[in-house]
Amino acid sequence: MKRAIELKVNGEMYPVSVSADRTLLDVIREDLLLTGTKKGCEAGECGACTVLMDGKPVNSCMVLVMDAVGREIVTIEGVGGLEGLHPIQEALVEHGAVQCGYCTPGIVMTAKALLDNQPNPTEREIREALAGNLCRCTGYVKIVEAVLAVSQALSQGRRG
Amino acid sequence: MAYTIVGQRVPRVDAREKVSGRAVYTGDMTLPHMLVGKVLRSPYAHARVVRIDTAKARSLPGVKAVITFEDVPKIFWNSAGFPPSPGAILMEDQYILTDKARYVGDGIAAVAAVDEKTAEQALGMIEVEYEVLPALMNVEAAMADEAPLIHDVPNNIMAHMPIVIGDVDQGFAEADMVFEDKYYVPKVYQVSMEPCGVAMAAPDMDGRITIWTSTQMPHLVRGITAHALGLSTSQVRIIKPPVGGAFGSRLGVVNEPIAALLAIKSGKPVMLKYSREESFLATESRHPLTMILKTGVKKDGTFTARQMTAYLDGGAYATHTPSFAGPVAGWFLAMYKSPNIKIDNYSVYTNSTQCGAFRGYGNPQVVFAVESQVDDIAAALGLDPLTIRLKNHPCAGEVWMWSNWVIESCGLDEGIKRGAEAIGWGEKRKKRFAEAGENAVTGTGTKKRGVGMAYMMHVSGARPMLHETSAAVVKINEDGKANLIYSNSDCGQGSGTALTQVAAEELGLNYEDVFITKTADTDVAGFDIGSHASRQAYSGGNAVKKAAAAAKEKLLAMAAEILEVPASDLEVAQGMVRVRTAPEQVISVAEVSHKAHFGTHGHQIIGAVSEEPPGNPPVYAAQFAEVEVDTETGVIEVLKVVAAHDVGTAINPAVVEGQIEGAIQQGIGYALTEEYRYQPETGQPLNPNFTDYKILTALDMPEVETILVEASAETGPFGAKSVGESGLVATAAAIANAVYDAVGIRIKELPLSPEKVLAALREKENSGNE
Repeated sequence: MKRAIELKVNGEMYPVSVSADRTLLDVIREDLLLTGTKKGCEAGECGACTVLMDGKPVNSCMVLVMDAVGREIVTIEGVGGLEGLHPIQEALVEHGAVQCGYCTPGIVMTAKALLDNQPNPTEREIREALAGNLCRCTGYVKIVEAVLAVSQALSQGRRG
Repeated sequence: MAYTIVGQRVPRVDAREKVSGRAVYTGDMTLPHMLVGKVLRSPYAHARVVRIDTAKARSLPGVKAVITFEDVPKIFWNSAGFPPSPGAILMEDQYILTDKARYVGDGIAAVAAVDEKTAEQALGMIEVEYEVLPALMNVEAAMADEAPLIHDVPNNIMAHMPIVIGDVDQGFAEADMVFEDKYYVPKVYQVSMEPCGVAMAAPDMDGRITIWTSTQMPHLVRGITAHALGLSTSQVRIIKPPVGGAFGSRLGVVNEPIAALLAIKSGKPVMLKYSREESFLATESRHPLTMILKTGVKKDGTFTARQMTAYLDGGAYATHTPSFAGPVAGWFLAMYKSPNIKIDNYSVYTNSTQCGAFRGYGNPQVVFAVESQVDDIAAALGLDPLTIRLKNHPCAGEVWMWSNWVIESCGLDEGIKRGAEAIGWGEKRKKRFAEAGENAVTGTGTKKRGVGMAYMMHVSGARPMLHETSAAVVKINEDGKANLIYSNSDCGQGSGTALTQVAAEELGLNYEDVFITKTADTDVAGFDIGSHASRQAYSGGNAVKKAAAAAKEKLLAMAAEILEVPASDLEVAQGMVRVRTAPEQVISVAEVSHKAHFGTHGHQIIGAVSEEPPGNPPVYAAQFAEVEVDTETGVIEVLKVVAAHDVGTAINPAVVEGQIEGAIQQGIGYALTEEYRYQPETGQPLNPNFTDYKILTALDMPEVETILVEASAETGPFGAKSVGESGLVATAAAIANAVYDAVGIRIKELPLSPEKVLAALREKENSGNE
């Protein structure tokens, strides 16, 4: 049986008709056609499907769509695009931290949640935050460098 | 020589679309009336299908096609992405679906339905009765005389490759010491973050079929898929969108023929996406190898004889294995100079999932064994591990036995020197000896530290074993910017970026003004082998550079007419053509190109090339690891890895570093945590998921220091050689050698698990007490 619900994604209300056993990830990708959020394991292990729910990073493959009703969802499409990239995205580009790109949207979401809550993390804290986002291309070296650079730029900006 | 764009850390051509989530991968696509495909897989490792009934599944509303062995063309094929070449031994032993399961996960039937749920429901309605056969889960079991045959070859041995140089018996007789050791390396998976096996197939009204697929090899996959379907090559069109990592897993056909057959049978587009579990269960892994090494040495560290007998567990289908035996022999043969060498490689079928390509292609296996043993030899002879390697590795100007071609350049000695400095080799090794002699350890309490190193050589393409054809077209548009049409098989490594830099450098245009075809399309780009053997920068780069040079020649000829000077007096840089001796005489590329398009004889300036590169210059690396071994828990922590790589000219240092850093994550996994395991009696996979198959997270990664040694190759585009695969080849050996340095134990089987460390420590302690 399908239910008519509304999802708030990237600030817009989307009316959708879904069966209750579907995941937020599948509805985002298949119904809203927001395919920037990737499917890597469907088991909450790889972090490729990370989105923000009320500002917190979640594996959207582990969230039933009904549990996302009434929550603020942000996907990679809501972070930056043609109108301009988010500083985290710019830093990933600049540091050469993007390879195959499949984990990248999830990395951006996790890093954004981290810096939104804690603008000045240590390298260790960045690694802890990213520990749920698997990457097989980069060894995380340039990803961590990029996030560290953004946090340093942000804190300099605040001081300046 | 200084270059303008080559050598720069320009941003990747595809970074902005990927970082914003706008890059559209195959699995993100959808077509009108698209169906979802699913595969029914064997629950048994070895079993005959006695009866199969699909009637119920076919009658389920929403099911548009059900196929079994009965429906597939009875044409044997081989999934490995090889061009017909001297080194390609392609045993064709696969059908698109089988009536005899040879591993848990073998494809028995497939369905296409309106949605995923219906497709899954239909799979559950297919009735299959199996006659279960004994599962042969390792090479010993498979080669036993009483073992059932997986295919129709005696003792399940698909091939034996013997190589003899000189006389090893004489060499062993001349040796002061002879070392004999047995090593084993397990089955490991590439685990790209996009699961392996994503294809969308759509038949058209003209008897052709288009397949969008996450592949490394658009043109070769086109040919194999067409063959498996009984079609002519040109009836298949392969389009390769962005690929979410590959590392060898997509080096050939994965699931394209199943998707295509479902599309043909249903008459509709079909998307076939493997889950994470399926990409473990049913796609090709790295080969497990058993290697028996026998090495004779003189007291001064000279090798008198080197021998390897290796058993290659190829799994259920031949795919790469008999050909793969060639490079396995080549890596061993070419690492150290010796007048007498003997190799026996046996390729064996087992009931595990078939093995194929994984970054390094046999080299990480061989280097683990060889470099572990060479470390023991150095210790026994009282030589510094650096010295024995510096003494015996092949150098520039010598023949490299992998290819039998002369080595163009060698940056290994510099790499060893700089790498040793960076890890603190001298003081850390000396300190250990100074403190209490050979058996001493450093570190505090139960945690002992050590440093180790290993060296490797690798290829830039696979010549002369395999063809390395590439094709490139450069066309200069009327605004002076250029398109580079290339079968771009970039899977994230950055080759598309590097090739754009090569084209821009040669053309004298700005990097931002050259646009490579980001998506490969076999209907558009010329024949290209694809991404394998670290070939893109060298093979692709040479073709791209020549196509750009051909376009530039025409551009300068036209500019010479306009400026009324000889073309040989002209140069082009940053989009401007200048007279070399009179820089004020200048015309923009845009103006020249506009005149070409719309002047007297309208034409576009185009350069086109299809060719093989002139050689295969080897690359070198020395990797160093510092580890801390917890003698109470057996846990090894890698504290730092230093990777000194001779890559030739680094076209984009950030891309090159990224390749090495990422490979090291895979190399540490190979050393410490990764092993795909089966229940030994039944062949049931035990860890087809990320919970139980452990790859390193951001928290697990140590500090990585990359050192680039740029010993450029004359035949390389702007001196480039290669980098893609080499980053992980020496890592596991360097870590194993560091563990030996730390606690004096030699573990000859990967991964170096805590259980093995504790067992080895106990054994060492017991033998010390005797």
